[in-house]
Amino acid sequence: MIAALVPYNTLIVAAAVAAVGLAAGMVGALAVLRRRALAGDAAAHGSLAGVATAFLATGRRDLGWLLVGGLVTALATLAALVAIRRWTRTRDDAAMALVLGVSFGAGVALVTGITARGLPDSAGLEQFLLGHTAGVTAGDAALLASCALGAAALVALGLKELTLVAFDEAFAAAAGWPVGLVDLGLVGLIAVMVVVGLPAAGAVLVTALLVIPPVAARQWTDRVGTMVLLAGLLGTLSALVGVVGSALVPRLPTGPVVVLAAAALAAVSAVAAPGRGWWSRRAAARRALVAWHEGDLLASLARGDGPPAGADDALRRALADGLVARGAGGFALTATGTARAADLARRREAWARILATAPDDARAFLTVDLPDPAAVIDGARLAEIRAAAERRR
Amino acid sequence: MSPVVAGTEPFHLWNIATAMAVAAPCALVGTLLVARRLSLLGDAIAHAVLPGIVIAVLAGGRPGGWLTMIGAVAAAIVTASIATAVASNSVGVGEDAATGVGFTTMFALGVILVSVAASRVDLDTACVLYGELELSAFDTVPVAGLEIPRGFITGCLLFAGVGLALCLTWKEQVLAAFDPAAARALGLPVAGLSVALLVGTALTTVAGFDAVGGVLVVTMLVAPAAAAELLVARLHHVAAVAVAIGMAAGAIGYLAAWRLDTGAAGMIAVVLGAVYAVAALVAPDHGLLARALGAVALRWRVAREDYLAAAWRAAEGGTATVPRGWAAWPVARWLAAEGAVEWTATGWRLTPTGRARAETIVRSHRLWEAWLGRNVDLPLDHLHPPAEWVEHHIGSAVRAILAAEVGDSVADPHGRSIPPEVPPPAGRAR
Repeated sequence: MIAALVPYNTLIVAAAVAAVGLAAGMVGALAVLRRRALAGDAAAHGSLAGVATAFLATGRRDLGWLLVGGLVTALATLAALVAIRRWTRTRDDAAMALVLGVSFGAGVALVTGITARGLPDSAGLEQFLLGHTAGVTAGDAALLASCALGAAALVALGLKELTLVAFDEAFAAAAGWPVGLVDLGLVGLIAVMVVVGLPAAGAVLVTALLVIPPVAARQWTDRVGTMVLLAGLLGTLSALVGVVGSALVPRLPTGPVVVLAAAALAAVSAVAAPGRGWWSRRAAARRALVAWHEGDLLASLARGDGPPAGADDALRRALADGLVARGAGGFALTATGTARAADLARRREAWARILATAPDDARAFLTVDLPDPAAVIDGARLAEIRAAAERRR
Repeated sequence: MSPVVAGTEPFHLWNIATAMAVAAPCALVGTLLVARRLSLLGDAIAHAVLPGIVIAVLAGGRPGGWLTMIGAVAAAIVTASIATAVASNSVGVGEDAATGVGFTTMFALGVILVSVAASRVDLDTACVLYGELELSAFDTVPVAGLEIPRGFITGCLLFAGVGLALCLTWKEQVLAAFDPAAARALGLPVAGLSVALLVGTALTTVAGFDAVGGVLVVTMLVAPAAAAELLVARLHHVAAVAVAIGMAAGAIGYLAAWRLDTGAAGMIAVVLGAVYAVAALVAPDHGLLARALGAVALRWRVAREDYLAAAWRAAEGGTATVPRGWAAWPVARWLAAEGAVEWTATGWRLTPTGRARAETIVRSHRLWEAWLGRNVDLPLDHLHPPAEWVEHHIGSAVRAILAAEVGDSVADPHGRSIPPEVPPPAGRAR
């Protein structure tokens, strides 16, 4: 039914771009974890000059050769970046901005020069700046898809090594892994994905295809494998939205639509993801506040005072949980409430002591659910520790 | 007249003037961005101002006019605030990735606005990507009877404004750039200076945007300062050289583009890249050529001194021999030209000058061995290699100290005598 509405070629291209989105997300996940997000940007800007040179050399718009040219100058741009860092005093940020701008300038000079001469087919070159999938043929699509799926397979095969190097370079080197080689492989994959992504997103924005889906995926999970997979899925989704969106609106380049789709997914992730998302953090902060109020409430009732001001929500919850009962003289603790109040008091006491004596180590105690000491330490030893603590005071 | 200038019409000259006028404030702002390691913020802002500019144009502003400047500054501040919020609110990714998300999203938004509203506004994606420096001479305002291009006036006003602001706050800017902690401790408004820099970047970006497009502005910001930093050291020198480089590249890039029949925006960036490459090569002290030449000169001096010392040791007796072979030959010829060795029937021999130079080297070597032998617990056969290197770097002052340290001993740890200090020959300092 869909095939009847959408031209065959569009379906093929959409499938290819989906594959590119998948692979870009997967490669990008590792690139983001290895802090190589900007390398992709430099490679992307540098690829334009190669695309234009390949067009001049072959005299026609053969996507395979254009992408080979783009890959060569993308890698040359990264090499220039390394050379500047190695042999000049220019600092990293300036080196990055410089290489990115100058390599893109060379590409723009070539493209505008070619366009000005009105060479046949030359109008297609400008589509590599912001991406335009309308001009992609079925043959091109097969090429893009096979490159992308190859890159995705390489990521899947090398996931262990890439993860290790991304998270603990020193350990990987000490354990005898070829860190330099793995890094080189990652940078090579980034360059390949940038070039393969050119028709979909263009030199200016293709870096977003590698960066935004992983950032969105990162919000949902702490596991690398899941993040890589999720980034691939989100990349696929953004790429598809881009193809459809630019097909619907005339003259709209694909790249910006892909990027905005990915950014929307990232925004939703940053708000809604459990654990890391804004909503989840806010809920956790609220829960923590209620728990704190509940502690205050129980302590206050245990002392025989009334409920403290501002603890209404905690009081309602305590009533519902059966910790507090409404008696004749106001609110009173139930048996469970008394036990819980004692437990809370002990924990607060323990934390006060941790913060007072070893504030720098407090973080380590966060993972420990401090039990009732009487349940785990025998009586004589406990008395000894208490006496020692008293003396230290 | 050169063929470049021969066919030049007035509008070309105005375009060149505009390129230079826009390049100057960009280079000034860029100097601070580079010094404060904020080059990538410049890149991010250059991308992120696009939606602000487009919305301002949709609201009736003119590209490069005051309304677009307000739009650009607003967009820059929004982006910077988002970036700060993202950076402070852990999102589990590096700052580079967070920045990458921010500016690509803003730029994409801008391009979509341009594409959708292209029919209604005086702006298209080509203008966004390449600027329209070539057309700047035709958008003029009458000033005192002359038709002056708007871009030129904007550039000049910005240069004056940025220059004035820099002059007034120079001391604070330098301190904030090189020692932000000290600046904060002294009570300087470092955050305020950063905001001012942000606003300055956004304003100059608007001018640069019109000339070379949104993506290449970063080159006009960063490249002149990066090249200038290689050439000179002090920040106000860097600023002056950066402005000169930026203006020159604006003019040369325009002319080159005109000659080669291509866009000026790309060529200006290419020329800036070439200037940086030349600076990296020929910069005094730290340039690649200077360092390579320095290394060669040092190796050559070491080779000659080693030859002299070996010849001296051969004459002293023992196992040492005068170096022979193809590698030693040019060294000997050079030393002969210096009058340090001479050719005799039995081969090369030291002249009195050469002997004096050799004795200085050998004295340095053996004094160092003696000092090491006395003060550092090294086995005897470990003393020679360090001394073989250090002998070329010890002057008479250090030799005097070493001689005083090792006392009156006239022999090195191997039992060979240390030659006495040779008084420097008159009129020739070694």
